[in-house]
Amino acid sequence: MQGEAAILTAFEGAWLSQRRQVRRVQIFTLTGVVVVLALSVWLSGITATNIGDGLFERIGHFFYRMLPHLRWDSLFASRETPGSLLSWFYALPLWLKAIKETVEMAFVGTLLAGLIALPLSFGAAANVNRRGVLRQVIRRGFDTLRTIPEIILALIFAAAFSIGPVAGALTLTISSAGSLGKLFSEAIENGDVRAVESVRAAGGNWLLQMRFGMLPQVLPQVMSYWLLRLEMNVSIAAALGVVGAGGIGVELDQAISFTDFSTYLAILLILVCIIFAIDLVSEQIRHRLIGGLGKA
Amino acid sequence: MAAALRINPQAVRPPLWDQWKYWGLFAAVLAAFLAAVHDLGIGYAVLSAGVLKLGVILEAMWPPSDGEAAVRIWFAIAQTLGMAVLGTTFAALMAVPLGLIAARNVVANPALHFAIRRIMDLFRGIPALIWALILVAAIGLGPLAGILALAFADIPRLGKQFAEAMENIDERQRDSIRATGASDAMVLRFGVLPQALPIWLSQCLYSLELNFRSAVVVGVVGGGGIGFELQERIRIYAYDEVAYIIILYVITVSLLDLLSARLRGNLI
Repeated sequence: MQGEAAILTAFEGAWLSQRRQVRRVQIFTLTGVVVVLALSVWLSGITATNIGDGLFERIGHFFYRMLPHLRWDSLFASRETPGSLLSWFYALPLWLKAIKETVEMAFVGTLLAGLIALPLSFGAAANVNRRGVLRQVIRRGFDTLRTIPEIILALIFAAAFSIGPVAGALTLTISSAGSLGKLFSEAIENGDVRAVESVRAAGGNWLLQMRFGMLPQVLPQVMSYWLLRLEMNVSIAAALGVVGAGGIGVELDQAISFTDFSTYLAILLILVCIIFAIDLVSEQIRHRLIGGLGKA
Repeated sequence: MAAALRINPQAVRPPLWDQWKYWGLFAAVLAAFLAAVHDLGIGYAVLSAGVLKLGVILEAMWPPSDGEAAVRIWFAIAQTLGMAVLGTTFAALMAVPLGLIAARNVVANPALHFAIRRIMDLFRGIPALIWALILVAAIGLGPLAGILALAFADIPRLGKQFAEAMENIDERQRDSIRATGASDAMVLRFGVLPQALPIWLSQCLYSLELNFRSAVVVGVVGGGGIGFELQERIRIYAYDEVAYIIILYVITVSLLDLLSARLRGNLI
């Protein structure tokens, strides 16, 4: 009887101390979070006075100003009639041309980035490149390219290559090469080395080993990452235009500086639709690619 | 060979379509690429002139200098970090209800589920910079516009991730709480949240890493922080100071990524 009570007390003690431990960790974490948040508020210089009254009211009012003044009776009238859809999208051909430029920037940039990243990524994968120094150099190179924000690259390239789509395409090339290289090399590291060894056993040199042993394994995944990056780059390219990299971003920036907010909304609507359509198509292709991998 | 041809002709001589489809695809991509390059005006003259000028800029970057404004630059980097933290926090708070509604196993109404998913998909296409342009025009220059831009761009992304994490929970734990006769709120609290919360937090941390990068971007168009300082220095060709800021920034990003990766490792 007494033994049982002792076991119970010991159990209760252990349970309590464990509970105290959990509570301590929770309080510690909570304090940390509060301190970080308070510090962030202080750093951002946000005080009750500079937020002002009705912050969200002001934002709401602004969104209201972005709405066009459409009229039901003249919705489908010609461009010159105020209140028609065509008068809202008054420069549609120009915008579509600018969007085409944005998409082309993304396409050229992504393609070049992949072509740069693919050969290098074999050097960055630990299972096929045993030279540690070379591997580390390539990896750190990828990391650095990934870390520098696109917009900073775009500002510098716009200074060098003059304002326009060339700067945008090169920006996307450089920044995507870093992230694609990392993803490609991870795909290669997940690949099966036995196929590479069998090519070596047949007398193939390193290049042949990679071409026939590794590339067929990783190609579906590589293509899928490539397409995913293309999707992302379309929206990045649109944003880069704002700092002078050409394409639809230039039109967006102009609409804002002329306080022509309903035009801004019109361009934004077209842009979102195009990005959505590209995502949809690319997602279908990617699912097919990865599906093919699963079957093989 | 003749025997093989009889048994399986397709293995010996694949159909013409299979032989040519990859070359056809390759040719199509190449043609599109060349057309795009021509359209964008990328040519030898533009590239060679630009590379020369880029060389001059890179030369001007060395040695990096703080331009006697080290305190200001360090403060701006800290401010950028603060903006990212607040933007992510705000986005996470807004994304929780959205994620709950969008999760198939929490709200069983397919129409509502479908609607909110598609709306989030649409808004995910709008990058933080586009929001920043709108918000700077609406509430003026400064970190507040930047924070809200980060949050608005992050809400649909986090909402989707939260919903997916929610749908991947183990249903049995939920059923066992329900079997004790708990109310819906209790089931959510004790059957669902303990599973979803660590994943949510880890997604928030990852989002914080991304937002620290985006915070620079929104700064360039007037959202405050280091992006604003950088943009100012590029405009006046102070490339040695630009180099100083970029190096400092890259180090901060690496440190934040390391810290966040360790915290995320602890969570999962």
